[in-house]
Amino acid sequence: MSGGIARGRLAEERKAWRKNHPHGFVAKPETLPDGTVNLMVWHCTIPGKTGTDWEGGYFPLTLNFSEDYPSKPPKCKFPQGFFHPNVYPSGTVCLSILNEDSGWRPAITVKQILVGIQDLLDQPNPADPAQTEGYHLFIQDAAEYKKRVRQQAKQYPPLV
Amino acid sequence: MDYGNENDLYSDNEVLDYYSDDAEINTDATVAADDDDCNYDSLISEDDPMNSDFDPRQSHHQGLKDQNYTVLKESDIRERQQNVITEVASVLSISKATATIILRHFNWSVSKVHEAWFNNEDEVRKIVGLLNKPVIQFPYGDYKEITCGICFDLFRRDEIVSAACGHPYCRKCFGSYISTSINDGPGCLVLRCPEPACGAVTDGDMVDMLVLDEEKKKYWEYVCRSYVEENKNIKWCPGPGCEYAIEFEGGGGDDFSWDVRCVCDYRFCWKCVEDDHRPVHCKSVAKWMAKGNAESENMSWILASTKPCPKCGVPIEKNQGCMHMTCKPPCRYGFCWICLGDWNNHVQCNGYDEGNSTKVKDIDKVKKYARKYYHYYGRWAENNLSRLKAIEDLRRVKTEQIEKLSAKLGKTHIELWFIVVAWQQIVECRRVLKWTYVYGYYLRKVKDEDAKKLLFEFLQGEAEAGLERLHGYAENKVSQFLNADGLSQNFKEFELKLKSLTQVTGKYFEKLVRALENGLSEVETPKTWDIQDYWICDQCTYANTWTEITCKICHQDL
Repeated sequence: MSGGIARGRLAEERKAWRKNHPHGFVAKPETLPDGTVNLMVWHCTIPGKTGTDWEGGYFPLTLNFSEDYPSKPPKCKFPQGFFHPNVYPSGTVCLSILNEDSGWRPAITVKQILVGIQDLLDQPNPADPAQTEGYHLFIQDAAEYKKRVRQQAKQYPPLV
Repeated sequence: MDYGNENDLYSDNEVLDYYSDDAEINTDATVAADDDDCNYDSLISEDDPMNSDFDPRQSHHQGLKDQNYTVLKESDIRERQQNVITEVASVLSISKATATIILRHFNWSVSKVHEAWFNNEDEVRKIVGLLNKPVIQFPYGDYKEITCGICFDLFRRDEIVSAACGHPYCRKCFGSYISTSINDGPGCLVLRCPEPACGAVTDGDMVDMLVLDEEKKKYWEYVCRSYVEENKNIKWCPGPGCEYAIEFEGGGGDDFSWDVRCVCDYRFCWKCVEDDHRPVHCKSVAKWMAKGNAESENMSWILASTKPCPKCGVPIEKNQGCMHMTCKPPCRYGFCWICLGDWNNHVQCNGYDEGNSTKVKDIDKVKKYARKYYHYYGRWAENNLSRLKAIEDLRRVKTEQIEKLSAKLGKTHIELWFIVVAWQQIVECRRVLKWTYVYGYYLRKVKDEDAKKLLFEFLQGEAEAGLERLHGYAENKVSQFLNADGLSQNFKEFELKLKSLTQVTGKYFEKLVRALENGLSEVETPKTWDIQDYWICDQCTYANTWTEITCKICHQDL
């Protein structure tokens, strides 16, 4: 609909990010083998919050933007099989602000998305489960859930 | 005395009027005149000169009391909607666009809006997203250019638009935000500002200002539709391709007062939006339709993959290779799967024998439970098909055949209209007959209800036989007249016979419907009446209960 404002907006997002972004986060458009930049796919890293079981993990997240962006939200994916009650087995994140039918607003920025997902890590929404394993452990076995989360954090050490 | 005379005269007139109308009705072939209620109702319907269609329901006791529904065209819907919007806008001193938003939230009920608004205006504003003042105030004077919150480009102040909250966006971005939402569906009616978590509503005025005409049209279409879809008293007519809506005023108490008829001629029960199903209750209909969905699959599977045991009738599925079948104990009958013949005497069945080849599966032998359902379902479905066919025939009679017959026989359309009336009767009767099979299926066979079943089947049988006569006669004769060359062979006879068949069938069905609506109470055993519970008044013979000391009727002491 928007006649291609997606790229313009993403270029602005990129500029704003470089000027200022929250500590520990990474957000970078993908670079193709021929050296050109693809603004429609961003590779990001979300750090687990300090003081939570997620601390120490640097979780890779991919944002896929469509030509309808920012009328439509980007698709946000962790690696397949990521352990979290609100992450689908495919890795897609289920979060209200990323739902194009309800929570998404075009003024939501990449920064807000990433911070939103960081919050979700330690505050899952049991009303909206997306995978069986994470959900069941979260509901039924807090100790095992904690263990799995810590284990996963170790699996994703900081990239130096 | 004078005064009294005047009164008498007046009532005399009334009586006269009543009887003269009544006499008219009695000559009307289509109305039964043997019932008081019935006459009264018919009287009302006869008052309506437009009412040329015969409808047996109009002549039974609840028929046309007052028509308690209104059929709305699109223009009516828009007009009513505009009226309530204007009313609310002027009473609450708000813009029409704002009034629309509030009304939609409160199901288009003016009284609900008033109640909520005057009770707690701030709460209403919060719920629907109407801000009193902007949440952010840009120091516009200091800035020549402002950043759009969506594309992040800089724009002159006059290129920036905002909802009531003041969040700034360029016209293009805000416009495309709205049009995306409009193209996604009626969710656009509750669209909020693009700013995350901002509750300010995006109203019709902004739509008109920012999007293309095509999308504006869509938006206002949704607003119009919401007036029907979110209104508790209006429903769309479910008739195929029909665009009318029906407003129901004042709920009918029982299940039988919900029948409505749209201008498109589609009839349905407003309460459950099924085909109109008098004299069967909504509940039975829902049960029946649900059963139909589940059972018809079972039934077709049973028919397709099993054969009934030739001896006991249990459906048997063949799950092994050999043709020698042995039925479950206690039957244990051994037979050939192919020819269903007794295995003991079985030699071979490969040769074609004309006499014997009819031994394919016999539906009547399917087990007992299935048989009952099959009986009623089959008749229900057949009558439904027959009804659909009749509707099509009625349409053809109205649009083509009347024309042709009129040319051929030299009669006017009015002179031939009795044929249309007959077909209307057929359609209506097929509908009733179809539902009586549902009634029959749920009519429980309790001991003292045997009489009910007998009465029901008697009435149904009579009605059905009458209808078959009428349907057959109409079908054959009309085509005979169409095909006959030139001379009108016994037209007078045809007219008389068809009219009388129509009338007789109408009466049978009226009787049937009334009996079913009364729950076949005619044959209920009356409650036992114990003489010891009463004292009989010596003067007027009224039976008073012992709590009375003087007679309730004539005040004679006990």
